[in-house]
Amino acid sequence: MKLLAFVFALILIGGGGARALELQETPGLLDDIANGRLPPVSERVPLDPSIVDMVAEGKTVGRHGGTLRTLMGAAKDTRIITVYGYARLVVFNPALDLVPDLLEAVEIEDGRSFTLRLRRGHKWSDGHPFTSEDFRYYWEDVANDENVSPYGLTRALLVDGERPAVTFPDETTVIYTWSKPNPYFLPALAGASPTYIYRPAHYLKQFHGRYQDPDKLAAMVEEASKRNWASLHQRRARQYRNDNIALPTLQPWVLQTKPPSQRFIFDRNPYYHRVDSAGRQLPYIDRLIADIVGSSLVPLKTGAGETDLQARYLRFDNYTFLKEGEQRNDYKVRLWPQMIGAQLALFPNLNNNDPVWRAVLRDVRFRRALSLAINRYEINQVVYFGLALESNNTVLPRSPLFRPEYQKAWTAFDLDRANALLDEMGLTERDDDDIRLLPDGRPLFIVVETAGESTEQTDVLELIGDGWAKAGIKLFAKPSQREVFRKRIFAGETIVSIWSGLNNGIPSADMSPQELAPTSQQQLQWPKWGQFIETKGKAGEAPDMPKVKELANLLKAWENAVGIDKRSAIWHRMLKIHAEQQFTIGLINAVLQPVVVANRVHNVPVKGLWNWDPGARFGIFRPDTFWLDDVAAQSAEK
Amino acid sequence: MLNYIAHRLLIMIPTLLAISFIVFVIIQLPPGDYLETYVAELESQGENVDPQKIAFLREQYGFDRPFLEQYATWVFGMLQGDFGYSFEYSLPVSDVVGDRLWLTVLVSFATIIFTWIISFPIGVYSATHQYGWGDYSLTFLGFIGLATPNFLLALVLLYVANVYFGTSVGGLMDEQFIDAPWTWAKFVSVLEHLWIPVIVIGTSGTAGMIRRLRANLLDELQKQYVVTARAKGLPSFRLLVKYPLRMSLNPFISDIGSLLPQVISGAAIVSVVLNLPTTGPMLLDALRSQDMYLAGSFLMFLASLTVVGVLVSDLLLAVLDPRIRFQGGSR
Repeated sequence: MKLLAFVFALILIGGGGARALELQETPGLLDDIANGRLPPVSERVPLDPSIVDMVAEGKTVGRHGGTLRTLMGAAKDTRIITVYGYARLVVFNPALDLVPDLLEAVEIEDGRSFTLRLRRGHKWSDGHPFTSEDFRYYWEDVANDENVSPYGLTRALLVDGERPAVTFPDETTVIYTWSKPNPYFLPALAGASPTYIYRPAHYLKQFHGRYQDPDKLAAMVEEASKRNWASLHQRRARQYRNDNIALPTLQPWVLQTKPPSQRFIFDRNPYYHRVDSAGRQLPYIDRLIADIVGSSLVPLKTGAGETDLQARYLRFDNYTFLKEGEQRNDYKVRLWPQMIGAQLALFPNLNNNDPVWRAVLRDVRFRRALSLAINRYEINQVVYFGLALESNNTVLPRSPLFRPEYQKAWTAFDLDRANALLDEMGLTERDDDDIRLLPDGRPLFIVVETAGESTEQTDVLELIGDGWAKAGIKLFAKPSQREVFRKRIFAGETIVSIWSGLNNGIPSADMSPQELAPTSQQQLQWPKWGQFIETKGKAGEAPDMPKVKELANLLKAWENAVGIDKRSAIWHRMLKIHAEQQFTIGLINAVLQPVVVANRVHNVPVKGLWNWDPGARFGIFRPDTFWLDDVAAQSAEK
Repeated sequence: MLNYIAHRLLIMIPTLLAISFIVFVIIQLPPGDYLETYVAELESQGENVDPQKIAFLREQYGFDRPFLEQYATWVFGMLQGDFGYSFEYSLPVSDVVGDRLWLTVLVSFATIIFTWIISFPIGVYSATHQYGWGDYSLTFLGFIGLATPNFLLALVLLYVANVYFGTSVGGLMDEQFIDAPWTWAKFVSVLEHLWIPVIVIGTSGTAGMIRRLRANLLDELQKQYVVTARAKGLPSFRLLVKYPLRMSLNPFISDIGSLLPQVISGAAIVSVVLNLPTTGPMLLDALRSQDMYLAGSFLMFLASLTVVGVLVSDLLLAVLDPRIRFQGGSR
């Protein structure tokens, strides 16, 4: 959270007398060490490993060994193990502070110059040293090679289109510098799906036109039936997707099964950089097994006790079924709140093509009236057993930026006030069914389009329709199909749509408020304005509502602001505008995610949070510290 | 006869070409392409995707090329045994399908045999004891089988098998055997799991088969040659097996053409529910995610099976039934 504090924190970690620690060998690897396939632990971990104080983290010191089973829905879900593993250059800890992880330290100057310090003696999962050469290879031979990256740099590395200056002074130092602050850089490195600014150079050079003999490369391209070597290189280098067993990694577990398969096995990375305070190298668990089953079968198999740790593909409405199997199959169901700004939110399309509708939707009184005419309490009770929070589409109580007025503004169920607002707008004419008329005489029928994927949305719309009817508005739900749904919104043909709210409901002031400003076509309330800014004016329309322009300017101001106070002030201004303006009408958030944990698995928090970014699902709780208590007394505490 | 076969074989070429074109058009019909589906799916899970990367993939996958060029590349590739590339799995289509085919064959074969073993005696019994108690009760059972939705039966059996027999839910073997070499234990595990899909997929087929056999046999039993044979004193069982039963088999043979593709794709929903490592769920996923070459290759495969199946059944019929053979000759 506080980047300055974070510099001090890591100096403490780095200087904390790592060598005082007595390293213990991992029992599961003794055979490999005995016959010389692996060096002893002292040569495997970095000279300054990351030492995890389990007790300080509220965890228990564990034992080595065992196999953890989990279920996945498709072969490409192998990437989720990269998410759960969550070894990143820097990571968010459970308090949502950024701390170094793979890196030993990061030094930041004015928010624009970043000195990354690597751990001495850190190695890839194949034992090859992990050094600044891997960063150089990425920067010079991947990011700046027009064959491999014909479409330029990834966004997090650009500030107003400006490229960083990158230098590699020695084996363990990498410096990224921009002329202006880049607040996106570190969060991108810590993402669940991170921006990788390093590649295993020693492995990938064989696929690169600059390093490999052209004939040999051509033969390899031919054999893999690829178009060219760039395509082959890209295919072999997918660190996030995690589908190449030969690709060295820094994650706690390494893929062992060559796709395609129905069962993917991940074994411990013997060169992993974290150790516990007793000197045991992490991860505790020797092996992960991900069985690929149809996603619809996951709840059933979970209830039958065929997984040790499961949340993916479980939904809140599976809760009762899962609870029923707890005793029989020796697991516990935990409920972790989801940290998106709104489980469901209505998006009035301010870029609607119909001039009459557009004028109505852009009138703040109309949006407020819509919000006031929704009985959120009823929705919560009926659909979510009253366990969720009735809220605008805004930050959650867990965020340091939370204020009750953001959550509650215009959310009270108040039909009198809603009707008064609509009357004030001049929508006083009504038809025979008591439905209000638009200024041009058409009845006020609001078609809410859904992506047609869950009955949850249509159930909720049914409830909203009751409230709106009492305000003289008729609601029709129109399910379609996801691509059609999006295209209609982008084209301005939709009046109101329903989708989930802010992806990050637990931001700190140092995380970008970009979701609150027009930045992307994917923002369903103003797709054309978002597209305009996303494409730098090449497509879409320029924002023409003063409040929206203000949001765009505030985002710019945030990007250039240094210091937590200035950034907080901007965040609060933006959140206030959103709460007052009701650009999106949030319904409910903090819906609970069932997390099934077998009783033999330890160190999984009872009260967690379920979020993608920041959070990386289980990643933020570091599954490398999870351990199993039924491992056959492998003399872990010798 | 040889002429006839050659003619039939030649006509298969334009048929398959036309099918391939229609298949390709239909797969491309829904809005968007694989990458859009992919991005939308990731976003719905909260992941975001770098637009640079998507642009790169779009070029790599050839989505920027015109429709006809994509089609031509695919068809010419297939002629050379290259079925294209599965985007979803990032592997050539042939690698993806490989292992699943023979498990599909196993399940299908077991199902067909199950169907025939159950339905033959019942069908014959029902026909020879028409409107008796046995006929009514067996017919009733058959109709229940026909009327129960397969996926429901699958879920019920899964639950029962798990809670009472301790079999792991879904799949065709216990997890530890996946990708393991074949052993006796693995074989037993497969058998343990096989009965659920076989029963589920089999029941509906069984009912249909009983009804058809019964109806055909009843038709034949009324015919004069049966009366004649009976008058001549032929033992009734021998009579039944030697004449009317043989006659009533014709429809089964002519069914082979539709049976083959049905067996490959027909049990898709059940396979999805039961999580069978067969080809049905894969086809369904491929169609949903617009993984066009994988889906296209599957559909082409099914089309070829149908075309070949129809040919085989026609030939078999001719061999089996002299009447067809002679009429064919006189034409």
